Amino acid sequence: MIAHTISISPESPFVHRWDPRMKLIGLLLLAFTFSFVSNLRVLPMMIALTLTVVAMSRYPLDLLLRRLRYPSLVILCLIILLPLISGFTPLVEWGGLTVTREGFQAAMLVATRFFCIVTLAAVLLGTTPLLRTIKAMQALGLPYVMADMALLVVRYLEVLSADLRRMRISMRLRGHVEQRWPWRNLSTLAWLTGSLILRGYERSQGVYNAMRLRGYGHQPVSRDEFKAAPADLLALAAVCVATGLLIWLDMTL
Amino acid sequence: MHIPDGILPLPVTLGGYAASISICWLCIRAINKREDPRADIPKAALLTAAFFVASLIHIPIPPASVHLVLNGLLGALLGVFAFPAILIGLFLQAVMFGHGGLTTLGVNGVILGLPALAAAGVFHLRARGGAIHPASPRRTTVFGFLAGFSGIALSVLIFALILLTSLPAHLSAAAERSAILALGLAHVPLAVLEGLLTGLLAGFLLRVHPMILDGV
Repeated sequence: MIAHTISISPESPFVHRWDPRMKLIGLLLLAFTFSFVSNLRVLPMMIALTLTVVAMSRYPLDLLLRRLRYPSLVILCLIILLPLISGFTPLVEWGGLTVTREGFQAAMLVATRFFCIVTLAAVLLGTTPLLRTIKAMQALGLPYVMADMALLVVRYLEVLSADLRRMRISMRLRGHVEQRWPWRNLSTLAWLTGSLILRGYERSQGVYNAMRLRGYGHQPVSRDEFKAAPADLLALAAVCVATGLLIWLDMTL
Repeated sequence: MHIPDGILPLPVTLGGYAASISICWLCIRAINKREDPRADIPKAALLTAAFFVASLIHIPIPPASVHLVLNGLLGALLGVFAFPAILIGLFLQAVMFGHGGLTTLGVNGVILGLPALAAAGVFHLRARGGAIHPASPRRTTVFGFLAGFSGIALSVLIFALILLTSLPAHLSAAAERSAILALGLAHVPLAVLEGLLTGLLAGFLLRVHPMILDGV
């Protein structure tokens, strides 16, 4: 269930070794700048910037395509519907349907922003182990309540999904057949979900006791785990320049 | 009901982050006021993981299938932990599966998290009167239904309002009204399903482990 991440070694490309704190800041800067772009002439530069990061990271293409294979249903609906239901200048008329210029442009803007941001997020977050990303967020000031919760959620996702798999197999072995209409086996579904929640709840007390015995809550959080080298800072500065350039182009072109 | 990256303009995504951070700060402040704020973290985290896994169960509603959202139940069981838990769940979904988005994390947090807190309020009304009127199984099931239903119904309403008022193309007021109505009507079966499921689940938990319903 845990997303695939690539192991990091000194020979890995720089994007893999980039300080996760700088990487997170850089990713958010780029993503929010892409959300800011509304000028269609800037879209090719956004795509070029995204492709440059992908090329630099040497992120496996098949993995990237797998992430992009199922774009959100909302995005698909908007790309199809916006040219037909919004705007007022007709571009193409066919069989009673009118594609408007404004709607088509809006659909292009939405689709490009979506694919660029999702690609960057997949590449930049996929090249750092998830637990390290959460620790980097904590080093950037994420409250301990959320950081500890996030680390535990990641730790127990595998365990609970294995529980769910086993419970569903047991149900089938006892003769349970999933109905086409959910109303017919709603109570079974509720008990399945309830049992899963109970397993998590009951396990939590043991987890808490084990954590307390290991000193949980008594040691100050170490913020020295990450050290930014000049190359890390330089890469973040390059991202800042690129985002500044995109904003300037968006406003002047 | 996740708004993906790329649709919303910058002011809306930044506004979403501001709103989510403010609500989250209030929730964490309430958690930190407890005698031992860390004591309930593993419980909240494991319940969050259970909800995350349960939300992967697909339920066939012909011609498609839906997955459980369970934000109403999450609110009912986790109380003030529900909002941070939803933010964590949304972040992990965005990172692990590409569902939702990074720039829209704040907005999505508001869409699913605020109704979860509202559902917590609705569910805790069942115990009004405390020892004089302890919550009966029927009362628990009814308030579970209301919490599950209101969690989804409010989420759909906020989702439709944010999405349709922030689209980067002109939509007439009439088209917006029709779209909100259509989105609302399309989600009625899901809201009823979640309500029924949450009600049955609350009744089940009351029978087998009533302490879990007291919230963390």
